[in-house]
Amino acid sequence: MKRLFQRAAVAAAFALVGFTAAAQTPPNVLIVGQIAEPQSLDPHAVTATNDFRILVNLYDGLVRYKDGTLEVEPALAESWTISDDGKTYTFKLREGVTFHDGSAFDATAVKFNFDRMLKEDHPFHDTGPFPLSFNFASIDAVNVIDDNTVEFQLKEAFAPFLSNLAYPTGLIVSPAAVEEHGQEFGRHPSGTGPFKFAEWQSNQLVAAERNEDYWDGAPALEAVVFRPITDSNTRVAEMLAGGIDVMVEVPPDNLASFKSDANFSVTEQAGPHVWFSILNTKEGPFADKRVRQAANYAVNKETLVNDVLQGTATVAAGPIPPAFNWVESSVEPYPYDPEKAKALLAEAGVENPELTFYVTEGGSGMLNPVVMGAAIQADLQAVGFDVSIESYEWNTFLGRVNAGLEGQADMAEMAWMTNDPDTVPYLTLRTDAQPENGGFNSGYYSNPEVDKLLDQARTSTDQAERGRLYGDVQQIVHDDAPWLFVANWKQNAVTTAAVQGFKLQPSFLLHLKDVSK
Amino acid sequence: MPSYILKRLLSMIPVLFGLSVIVFLVMAMIPGDPAIAILGAYATPENVARINSDLGLDKPLVQQYFIWIGNVLQGDFGRSFALNRPVLDEVLERFRATLVLAGVALVLCSVIGLVAGVVSAVRQFGWVDKVITFVVLAGISVPSFWLGLILILLFAVKWRLLPASGMYAVYGGGDLKDLLLHLILPAFTLAVVAAGVIARLTRAAMLEVLRQDFIRTARAKGLPERSVIYRHAFRAALVSVIPVIGIQAGFVLGGAVYIETVFQWPGVGAMLVKAISTRDILLVQGGVLVVAGSYVFFNLIADVVQTMLDPRIRT
Amino acid sequence: MSDALATPSLPAAGSGRVSSWRLLFNNRLATIGLCMLSALVLMTLLAPILPLPDPDATAPADRLQPLFSAGHILGTDQLGRDILSRLIWGSRVSMIVGFSATLVAAAIGSTIGIVSGYAGGRTDNLMMRGIDMLMAFPYILLALAIVAVLGPGLMNALYAIAVVNIPFFARNVRGVTLGLSHREFVDAARLSGKGHLSIVLTEILPNVLPVIVITMSTTAGWMILETAGLSFLGLGAQPPQADLGSMLGEGRAQLFTAPHVSVVPGVMIFLIVISLNVLGDGIRDVLDPRLRSGALLRPGPVTAVDPERSRPKNGKPSAILTVEGLEIGFTRNGRYSAAVKGVSLHLHPGECLGLIGESGSGKSVTALSIMGLVSSPPGIIRNGAIYLHGEDVLSMPQTQLISARGSRVAYIFQDPLTTLHPMHSIGRQVAEAIAAHQTLSRQALRERSIALLDRVGIPDAEKRANHFPHQLSGGQRQRVGIAMALANDPDVIIADEPTTALDVTVQAQILALLRELQRERGMALLFITHDFGVVTEICDRVAVMRDGHIVETGKTQAVLGDPQHEYTKRLIACVPEIGTGKSFLDRVAPIFAADAEERP
Repeated sequence: MKRLFQRAAVAAAFALVGFTAAAQTPPNVLIVGQIAEPQSLDPHAVTATNDFRILVNLYDGLVRYKDGTLEVEPALAESWTISDDGKTYTFKLREGVTFHDGSAFDATAVKFNFDRMLKEDHPFHDTGPFPLSFNFASIDAVNVIDDNTVEFQLKEAFAPFLSNLAYPTGLIVSPAAVEEHGQEFGRHPSGTGPFKFAEWQSNQLVAAERNEDYWDGAPALEAVVFRPITDSNTRVAEMLAGGIDVMVEVPPDNLASFKSDANFSVTEQAGPHVWFSILNTKEGPFADKRVRQAANYAVNKETLVNDVLQGTATVAAGPIPPAFNWVESSVEPYPYDPEKAKALLAEAGVENPELTFYVTEGGSGMLNPVVMGAAIQADLQAVGFDVSIESYEWNTFLGRVNAGLEGQADMAEMAWMTNDPDTVPYLTLRTDAQPENGGFNSGYYSNPEVDKLLDQARTSTDQAERGRLYGDVQQIVHDDAPWLFVANWKQNAVTTAAVQGFKLQPSFLLHLKDVSK
Repeated sequence: MPSYILKRLLSMIPVLFGLSVIVFLVMAMIPGDPAIAILGAYATPENVARINSDLGLDKPLVQQYFIWIGNVLQGDFGRSFALNRPVLDEVLERFRATLVLAGVALVLCSVIGLVAGVVSAVRQFGWVDKVITFVVLAGISVPSFWLGLILILLFAVKWRLLPASGMYAVYGGGDLKDLLLHLILPAFTLAVVAAGVIARLTRAAMLEVLRQDFIRTARAKGLPERSVIYRHAFRAALVSVIPVIGIQAGFVLGGAVYIETVFQWPGVGAMLVKAISTRDILLVQGGVLVVAGSYVFFNLIADVVQTMLDPRIRT
Repeated sequence: MSDALATPSLPAAGSGRVSSWRLLFNNRLATIGLCMLSALVLMTLLAPILPLPDPDATAPADRLQPLFSAGHILGTDQLGRDILSRLIWGSRVSMIVGFSATLVAAAIGSTIGIVSGYAGGRTDNLMMRGIDMLMAFPYILLALAIVAVLGPGLMNALYAIAVVNIPFFARNVRGVTLGLSHREFVDAARLSGKGHLSIVLTEILPNVLPVIVITMSTTAGWMILETAGLSFLGLGAQPPQADLGSMLGEGRAQLFTAPHVSVVPGVMIFLIVISLNVLGDGIRDVLDPRLRSGALLRPGPVTAVDPERSRPKNGKPSAILTVEGLEIGFTRNGRYSAAVKGVSLHLHPGECLGLIGESGSGKSVTALSIMGLVSSPPGIIRNGAIYLHGEDVLSMPQTQLISARGSRVAYIFQDPLTTLHPMHSIGRQVAEAIAAHQTLSRQALRERSIALLDRVGIPDAEKRANHFPHQLSGGQRQRVGIAMALANDPDVIIADEPTTALDVTVQAQILALLRELQRERGMALLFITHDFGVVTEICDRVAVMRDGHIVETGKTQAVLGDPQHEYTKRLIACVPEIGTGKSFLDRVAPIFAADAEERP
């Protein structure tokens, strides 16, 4: 009896081992561990970086970011011209491109895409909502000149327009597929990208297979599978167990062990990301600039990025991330100087200011916000601040913070990822962007100088001039310290050693066309 | 019997109806709204208002509820805001996974619990009883989310015996064997606590039954001890344990929330957590109704089984 | 968690009771649990005076120090905070929250339960539907939703957990209250004009208190786990305050690189909860009146026999059954008390011996011990021997004794409702008695059992065989009992008050049947009763038993006609005669007055 049982157990163990060995990821199929299930595969309907990583492999835009940069290059549009007043963009479209569903890509299709997002009377506007359509709010009309020529009329000159077109909200979907599936389009996507959508199993996987007819050359991989694994430990476990080939957003603490393991290779890439804390400049201790600066001196950001974030980020100097390397700025981050912080507090006449600090539990780009919050709290306490933390789940947090901190809190964690230096300051630091005006300036920062510079930079079509203007913005905002500037994130990913040609982009997008395994 | 089942099914209706009202109220009280969840960081009041009107959320709460209940009565559970997908499609797809996991866990915890309870009762105060008692109480005392992670660490990462997460292998899987392999860890983790509760109660029920007069009768007949315990005592003890198994169904279904998150099981529990955080009120409604409905249903099954086992209730 | 607490009967005061504490300490596991919990509570209480570093002092450069590093015995966490210090302060927070939640849930849940159970009717129905809803709602989601509404923070987590656990208290307490509210003492209180509130507080509450305590002790551990679960999801303690769940949740990010950061709080949660659970288990056992009375002890298959017993010789080798110097007692809570004190009996083939005595005289224990059916624990045969066909039953190997049951000596018991298995059909129960000793085909088994049922006078036996005991009348059930006893043509039948639970006319029928069968099959019959009237009907000889001794024995007519012992006289006097009415009482009263004087 006992013998029999032992034998059965051994046989079962062998069966398990044999099976799992066979269940290693299949050749020529890349399995990507994502942080969540996509909301939709309609590029106009989503906002999360996580979803964008899938979408850029299924769709193309008129333009795209050049490999390894944030510069724009042709994609579905072969070339374009911009009128002198910066208000008319004319695109010459690539010929002979078809959507995955077989329908042709042409100027009418482009018009359909933007009209669907922007025109309330468009027959398919109800397939929305389209949360990021305000990226294209400057468009007045999209005109079909001929089959392969399309013209965008803007209401006013808008420098980030091309960059916004390269952003996933500018990806082109198949009008035929939208017409066929209506509201279900997000589950039956059809674009022109290097991979064709194959299957979506709820909360299990999204699979896409090679588009043999891709205009830019068929990809090396036969297929890619995106698996949502929400728990970061489980994601790491899957990576270690060989269940996935690529894992994005590796928790900082696990990065070192992946780096030292020859079976894995780690990729890092800085991008336009900034992690900060909004300070309430309207009321409370932070209404005084000296107290705001004191906070910036008090927090040891080097320790935050090197120890807490394990070197996955660098210290931020101001609102504009260094990834925009064409912005001319020589601003250095506030050094860690608790004595100076105490002196500034004394000068402001508040030795022990009481603060309420809003901390979130997660959220896109928030990099371990609870631990970061606790560390910041400890540093602030050390120079005399009296900080109490209130933590909220992400959506509650956004609801509270976006409404403005007045009457609620003195500081709040926040992070942004963008594609143009205009976006973040324009949305969060302008006087006109205060919450009552529908912006994200929740700390009520107001400096007419900054407002003016931003408006100028927005309408200028000269990149060098814009670079100078944003450099000035960076300097002024650094000095005014409406935020506690903390970190610029370097995104990372781990792949198995077998994966070749894997790259991360400064745009935070994930192009898998040239990856092989 | 059929009329009894029908009566029980009908009595579910007010419970589910009440639940739907509670869900609506609770969701309305939670700060933040679905538009923020959809818009993410770009939720300006203006955008929020636009999306709320697109979604029909600008109407008064009572009106929203009646629109919803009216649609439900016609079989339309509405669309999920966050997923932009019919609630029913999503819930049914997810529910299948939960049912598999919870069902297997329930069978597992019943079997483990009953066996451990009977053995423990038969060997009362012996070392087997003490070991089982300790193991069972230990099982009730482990945080299940933590246990799940530790099991993944050991079985998937260290020994590579079992898959770490998911329901099927991404490629080449899809058959029953694949499903079972993926089920072992989450189903076991989920079953641990309920198995402990069932074991303790089975032990007590067995001890009580073994004192009954009819057990003495069975012994007086000259039946071997084995049939006294299994054919006579266990049968009678089972009748009082079955309703408890029904109640454990609630815990298994509820506990699935942690387990589904840790094991990336595509079930309703994980869906509901996300739906609450995205304020996806209709998806929460659909999910809660399905979970609550299956809880009531599991209890109904427990009652029916109990009735079938015990002829005294049957008539 | 457990919802199936049986309604405990009111704890009976009596000499057999020992203090709850002693009972608790008898349970070694529970004692360990209590000690562990006390140590943990003490440790957390002492937290402010222990030489611990500030639990919130960060030192990111010293983060993730391993166990046993200098200055940090349990290492440091992701911000370089001392884990030991956080652990102790965190346990303090977790325990306070867990215990407070238990109290809140107990208070609200018990109130709902008592009101619902006491009021009954519509109120009860309405409240229980509400509780059903609460239970049907997935509990973690309910907690999530409550915290989402109230905002995060320990107090709100506490409320959420309390709300989630209300149903267990409400349901358990309601069940007990429902039983109590129709008990005599509550009716009495009502009739005496007490108000509802006063009845609930003075009559109901004291009696449901044990159930509340039991439920609290079994759910407290669960609550601490749930508190940890909520904190784990980030909904509990606000940073930097430590509680075990948030330590676990935050430390989880280092599970692969510095597992101790999450394993240490995980182990602590485990220790607290298991000590609570072990203790709770012990408390439940102590407060459960069934365990106190020994009702939750598992009886072995045969009565325990003292290996050092005296073994008197078989004084009547011609008898089929001889009992010599039998002494049986019960051990309860370590104290031994004798029930049968040196009884000797014998039974010849084909003879009917009546064993008569009042309740508690030891006659049933004597009868049951013959085939080792006295429950052990607590029963034990201390001295004596039982000879069946000259072979000592008490020396038989267990299997031999078991196979002698039913085949050589069969029993008929008193209350046929409780002695038949309620969930097996009567045909099956009879067939089982046959199958225990004979190998027959299913068909043959069925035929034999129907024939037996027919023989003992069950009308329409073929159909009735499929019926269950509760569908039969008392007399018919006892006929089934007789059929089972006859199944293997035993040499001896021991009938333990077989007619006591029946009404008089049925009693006469059963007696007639027994006498008829005994004559027909030539069996020996040991007939236990307290009724001399019955003895005269059926017995050849009679033995009178009192306080564990046989006080008188002889031919039925002789004993009846000329009782030697005072006690026998009294028993005989107790047989009422038709038409004597009140004079019967007048006749009996002085006899018992004398009896009362005689006993201390």
